[in-house]
Amino acid sequence: MNNEALQHWNNSLTGQSEGLSSTEDLFSTRRKAGVDSFQKNGFPGRRHEEWRYTSLKSLSEEGYPACLPHEGNLPEVDELITSSDIRIVLINGVFRKDLSDLTALPDEVRVEGFSDFRQRANTQEIENFDRMLPLSDHPFQSLGDALLDDGLVVTAIGNTDARIHILHAYDGTDTSGSAHITGMIHLEGGARLEILEEFRSQGQVMGNTRWGIHVGDECTLSRQRILRPGCDVVFHGSRVEVGKAGLFQDLIAGSGSRLVRNEIHVSLNGAGGHTDLFGGYVSDGDEVVDHHTTIEHAVADCTSREIYRGVLGGKSRGAFTGMIHVHQDAQRTDAKQSNDAILLSRNSEMNTRPRLEIYADDVKCTHGATVGELDEGALFYLRSRGVSLEEARRMMVRAFTAEVFGEIENEGLREQIIEQLQAAMPASECVT
Amino acid sequence: MSENEKEGSMILEVNDLHASVEDTPILRGLNLNVKPGEVHAIMGPNGSGKSTFANVIAGHEDYAVDSGSVLYNGIDLLDLSPEERACEGIFLAFQYPVSIPGISNAYFLRSALNAVRRYREESEVDAVDFLQLVRSKMALVGMDEKLLQRSVNDGFSGGEKKRNEILQMAVLDPKLAILDETDSGLDIDALRIVAEGVNALRGGDRSFIVVTHYQRLLDYIVPDHVHVLSQGQIVRSGDKTLAHELEREGYSWLDSGDKPKKSETDQKVQEAS
Repeated sequence: MNNEALQHWNNSLTGQSEGLSSTEDLFSTRRKAGVDSFQKNGFPGRRHEEWRYTSLKSLSEEGYPACLPHEGNLPEVDELITSSDIRIVLINGVFRKDLSDLTALPDEVRVEGFSDFRQRANTQEIENFDRMLPLSDHPFQSLGDALLDDGLVVTAIGNTDARIHILHAYDGTDTSGSAHITGMIHLEGGARLEILEEFRSQGQVMGNTRWGIHVGDECTLSRQRILRPGCDVVFHGSRVEVGKAGLFQDLIAGSGSRLVRNEIHVSLNGAGGHTDLFGGYVSDGDEVVDHHTTIEHAVADCTSREIYRGVLGGKSRGAFTGMIHVHQDAQRTDAKQSNDAILLSRNSEMNTRPRLEIYADDVKCTHGATVGELDEGALFYLRSRGVSLEEARRMMVRAFTAEVFGEIENEGLREQIIEQLQAAMPASECVT
Repeated sequence: MSENEKEGSMILEVNDLHASVEDTPILRGLNLNVKPGEVHAIMGPNGSGKSTFANVIAGHEDYAVDSGSVLYNGIDLLDLSPEERACEGIFLAFQYPVSIPGISNAYFLRSALNAVRRYREESEVDAVDFLQLVRSKMALVGMDEKLLQRSVNDGFSGGEKKRNEILQMAVLDPKLAILDETDSGLDIDALRIVAEGVNALRGGDRSFIVVTHYQRLLDYIVPDHVHVLSQGQIVRSGDKTLAHELEREGYSWLDSGDKPKKSETDQKVQEAS
């Protein structure tokens, strides 16, 4: 990135960060470190191994460095069909209690902004918080840290379950910019949470969301992330630790975002832990969708499953990096990873990098990657039954992503996601 | 019957059809007329062009039509996309039905039925009505209802796949059904069940073209006319007894170019035409 562009960011960060520092709080050190780190490193270029397939050049464009105003409107799209009775709304990164509905929260589950958390939390909680904050040697984390002010803390302790809908809305219609959201999820004592994280966006905006997630022993966190059409730049990072017999299920689905980078780092730290990382997308135009995952099998007897599937048209590009790290003591690990893509056009591109590092000797690790075209035989079969070519192509999106979305229990939501992706299916290039 | 009446009543008229696959000519002047309600069998050795003919009628894009014409109910069939042909009432039962993992058989069938109904300007069927319809048709082909929720042909046995083809035919209610080697890969019990399904759909104006290598299927689906296809042309036509003759004598006479003497049935066909 050129110096001038970086200067925009640096000026913006310093100015805004200083503004925040006038209030004394726990995060001033982190803010200072974030500013320093970003000023030193900036955004990585494509020579950086972890960013080889995703250019951040466009973030140097004027508009992104500024912070989005705290006020904004909810972009209007049809509401997701959700079984969640708890709704958390963030507009331009600001937790809006006035638009949220927390009345159905069980006693064992807390949803707080950082300021409330800071007032309430005990030393142990603050230690956890610090430990679980996503790593700092990362450009988007540095940005987030530099502007660390408020965020979201979800704590569920005990034998409880809750379904929470978190709506991230970005309104860049009047003024473009970025919003940085840091969130923490802490589950202990067998708690079960379902989180539907929805992203809506309008205008030129970058949403930079990072979660630190602790899934304690015998706890379950099931997370679905839906990127509604029209998101501009989405960075989403998660750092997750899973305890004994804990379960972390994750799904990300989207279409119509200009640049998506999904980073997820799961550490299976207790026997019997399991994680599912699923993703499905359709891309077109110049869009970039980059899934970057790491699963640490730190102890024995854990299992993991990864399935990412994309349908790419136009000049869009997809990238998948999937590291599975089986530590020396992690015997009887069972890890499955697959990444498949359908390229609809000559100029679409998929880069897939499975990385397996296995230091234990009694493990099952499989990985597979395929890049192909739409199944012409299946298309003809469908057409020979009266289904139009365009509908047949859309049906192939449904078929291709069935494994990814098949386990969404809420049928209404599942259909909504599939229909979003089907609607994003680029038109066929050949004329018949 | 006057010439004009006969012309008007044809469901399919194939005239001097030439077609090729990857620049290799396969059909070389095929002629065939099918009237509503008739069952025609097309027999012939491997490589004679039977499946090519079936696929050309269904509109498969890998098969290029080089010359000739195909009229379906008087309209130019070759002008229509595969889906338009299906909506107009042509159905091809595939020799090798395609499996589509991730799409349930029920979803597939309902999408197809509704596509056809939309084309015919009929109202779409909802899930409840569809289930009722499909259940009655499944009974017809002796199909297990569990197969409705499975992915299309995915992991189906040979017999289940062919029954599934006949089920689709029963649901879509075509005017002209082409069975491409429906007997291949079937044991005798499966063959009988599939044939019974087809026979239940016979009647009225529905026509069939049964493409097969063996006479066996024709014991169950008794044709009105039998044609022998060789090197892309129909070289002989007759009634059902021609099939038995072929069963006895095989196709080797085609290579010698030395046709067996004409049977009485051949002459009848000639007189009729």
